[in-house]
Amino acid sequence: MTVLGEFALWISLPVALWGMFLGFAGGRTQRGDLVLSAERSIYAVFFLHLVASIGIIAAFVGDRFEYWYVASYSNREMELFYKITGLWAGQRGSLLFWALLLGFFASLAVFQNRNKNREFMPYVAGVLQTILAFFVVVLLFAEVNPFERLDFIPANGQGLNPQLQNYWMTIHPPTLYLGFTAFTIPFAFAVSALLSGRLDARWIQLTRRWILTSWLFLAVGIVFGMRWAYEELGWGGYWFWDPVENASLLPWLTATAFLHSIQIQEKRGMLKVWNMSLVLATFLLTIFATFLTRAGLIESVHTFAQNLTIAYIFLGFMGGMLALCTVLILYRLPQLRSENQIESFVSRESAFLFNNLLLVGAAFAVMWGTLFPLITEGVTGQQISVGPPFFERVNFPIGLALLTLVGIGPVIAWRRASKRNLQRNFMTPVLVGLGTAAVIWSMGARHGLALVTWGISAFVLTVIATEFWKGTKARARIEGEGFLLAFFHLVTRNRRRWGGYIVHVGFVIMVMGFAGAAYNVDTRHHVMPGDVVQVASPFGHTYELTYEGLSVSLGQGQRNLLWQMIATVSVRQGDEAAGVLTTEKRQYVTSDQQMTEVGIRSTALEDLYLILSAVDDTRAALSADSSAQGIDLQVLIKPLVGWIWFGTLMLVLGTVIALWPSADPRRAAGALSSDTSEGNRPAAPAGAAG
Amino acid sequence: MKHGRFMVGLVGVAAVISYLVWTGVSSTMVYYLTPVELVERVEEDPSFRDLGVKVSGKVVPGTYERVEGELLHRFVIHDLEDESVTFPVEWRDALPDTFTDEVEVVVEGRLNADGVFEATTLLTKCGSRYEAAPEDLAR
Amino acid sequence: MTLLVGVALVSAAVIMFIVQPVVKGMHASLEREDDELTDTEARKRVALLALRDVEYDFLAGKLDEEDYRTMKSELTAEALAALEADEAARAEPGGVATASATDDLESEIARIRRHIQSGLVCSSCGYSNEEGSRFCSSCGAALGDRAVG
Repeated sequence: MTVLGEFALWISLPVALWGMFLGFAGGRTQRGDLVLSAERSIYAVFFLHLVASIGIIAAFVGDRFEYWYVASYSNREMELFYKITGLWAGQRGSLLFWALLLGFFASLAVFQNRNKNREFMPYVAGVLQTILAFFVVVLLFAEVNPFERLDFIPANGQGLNPQLQNYWMTIHPPTLYLGFTAFTIPFAFAVSALLSGRLDARWIQLTRRWILTSWLFLAVGIVFGMRWAYEELGWGGYWFWDPVENASLLPWLTATAFLHSIQIQEKRGMLKVWNMSLVLATFLLTIFATFLTRAGLIESVHTFAQNLTIAYIFLGFMGGMLALCTVLILYRLPQLRSENQIESFVSRESAFLFNNLLLVGAAFAVMWGTLFPLITEGVTGQQISVGPPFFERVNFPIGLALLTLVGIGPVIAWRRASKRNLQRNFMTPVLVGLGTAAVIWSMGARHGLALVTWGISAFVLTVIATEFWKGTKARARIEGEGFLLAFFHLVTRNRRRWGGYIVHVGFVIMVMGFAGAAYNVDTRHHVMPGDVVQVASPFGHTYELTYEGLSVSLGQGQRNLLWQMIATVSVRQGDEAAGVLTTEKRQYVTSDQQMTEVGIRSTALEDLYLILSAVDDTRAALSADSSAQGIDLQVLIKPLVGWIWFGTLMLVLGTVIALWPSADPRRAAGALSSDTSEGNRPAAPAGAAG
Repeated sequence: MKHGRFMVGLVGVAAVISYLVWTGVSSTMVYYLTPVELVERVEEDPSFRDLGVKVSGKVVPGTYERVEGELLHRFVIHDLEDESVTFPVEWRDALPDTFTDEVEVVVEGRLNADGVFEATTLLTKCGSRYEAAPEDLAR
Repeated sequence: MTLLVGVALVSAAVIMFIVQPVVKGMHASLEREDDELTDTEARKRVALLALRDVEYDFLAGKLDEEDYRTMKSELTAEALAALEADEAARAEPGGVATASATDDLESEIARIRRHIQSGLVCSSCGYSNEEGSRFCSSCGAALGDRAVG
């Protein structure tokens, strides 16, 4: 099976090249048979990569340690689940997995459009095959072939790093990859639009769902990574401004900008060049992120490998793509002229533009900070790096400005807003925002940035709540429906708009959670069994933690476990018992590193986070010396962390609502060009207004 | 002119972001040095001690000790190439799980007047952190 | 042996699958679909929906009377232009008639269009009047008697 898989990977290269050539040739000559063949070759490449992936999984499951990749990421004792997900555990497999996912999405796009939008398809097929062929070339010729064999057969493999044997870590990379690869489809349509000369908003309408899907997967993938870091890395942080994290954030930022700016193109026929540039930038950034994760050029906690061949190939590909697309955009420049002009500084178009500028600015700043060590080394020969303080300094103000725009956007009028329009819609929300900040201040919070963040958040939430309220009320009046039904229809009749609002609410809740970090509590204690530690929460109550003792077990429970020391701590909040938390140190047979498992108690307001920092005398504790029970215990309180995860759920919910297909296909087609408008029908606008 | 005001706004935002990036870089940047380079720099110019630096080196096996109850860790690192250049490091926080006493580390902080490096961040850096080298499997 | 057979089967199947369309000269359309929205149609929809948006914002209390009037008369003019352009495109030989008033949107558009064409939308304030009105019930201006085209 594995040999067959290797063979499948090899023949996928000529097949992809064939499809690439025929796609472009078919587009030039307008010959349907060539295009059909190119489209079929996409299905074929997907099938071949499926066979190759099954080959890798078979090698994992069959403990075929003669394969370098299997020997590096698996061992006999590993659970079946991790053997199967071994496909994307390391650089080599994940590149194949990337190609597999792209093949899947490409096939889906070809299948969806087998009878429609045919004028786009020749070049779409060509572009997709070009990218697929590129990945196959990397796999085969950049010293990262997952099928590479060792010249001996090891008795057992290295095993997967225990830190990666975690639920979040298993789903985090594929989710990000789904986002990265799904974005390739809008890119292919954009290039096809440039090549075929059909430059109206059609390509955007066709790929709106793809863009949104990709954006959703990126967002969720990033949050999964945060969750993993929070639970597994053991110091209570969820974001490090690490190069790999930054790399996954970059395409998300530009994709977010793109999602907003396409609405202006659809509605007002403006920003065509800008949208083309954004789709190109986002695609290149997904490639860049894949490359940074899997080529390890910049030092990072995620670093996978140092392999310069792959770096050159990736840089070459990205440079080539950038040059080609720039030339194409310049060539089509006359057809990409704006149909309208921005009429006023104070208008929704303008709000969208500032949103774009801020998002792209943030992306630029993050990129600059990430690449800074490389740039300085290239220029001065001396590596100079910037750390989290840099990213925070730059991104906090940008983030707050963006947050404010989230509140301004929905109610500011298109084209130009009058003073009265602003007053009418902003008075109450601004007052609510100021009031919220004042109330939180009066409760004793003095952190300026956090207060500003929560104030603006309250402003935005009020704006959005008012939108929902006014919309429901108007609909209830016009259609004579009850409020609940009116609300339901309001959302379902224009999913894109109201789903978007729900996404915004989720985002605001997440930001409020981020600001909670201003009130993190971090205390360290040396404790013996029976010792009581008191830690005050910023919300006023006090935790009373009793260290019950350390229990040591040797080689039991999980496979590969050498020993495990569990510190038990009982928690009282105020006067009430609030359960028992454990935090532990583990040593696996397969790794010379100890692992820390933290104990977390989550409530709506805050997380209590316990870390077993160190055991006084590991040797004595292991030899069952009952006096060796002293430990260093670190107690953290993380206010509002749960809001980040909850906000993410809202964000997913909102995106799914916006993505949900309309029941009526003709209506859906219409809605493509009209989504920002009301799907609700004012039955007799004249009568009602009179 | 509406259009002019608009351009002013856009340029203003771009300028603010550039300003943030510029000042952000100059106030938070740290030199990334090897122990040899750090020692040379400090010899040339003693005020270099006041700058934050990031240093990568290897922990000298057997030098790691923990001061009980204080969450203070001490170890000595040496240059990757020149093993004779060493200096002690003090770290006051929980150690990352990946820390062992023969690992390559990146520490960020300041070199004290008494020659002790006080680290404010500590990262372990090893190619095998998440990826094992199967060549080790050869018996 | 099984391996060789497997390899041979896979390659043969793949090659046949992708080469077949070229060898047999299979037909595949590369044309734009008939039922796809034309440019003018899309523009018309955008214009009409913007008009409806403004009406709705007004009803929901987001716009006041004065803002509503100015925007409405502007948008009405644009919608009218878009409608005329669409009609013109339809009239051209080869143009495709796709109008069908089956769904909400279509009937909505049809209604607005009827109002505009029959002059029920006031040209001075943009108010959309009840059918049969001769004077605008909002500003009192006489409603034009535009020829229905």
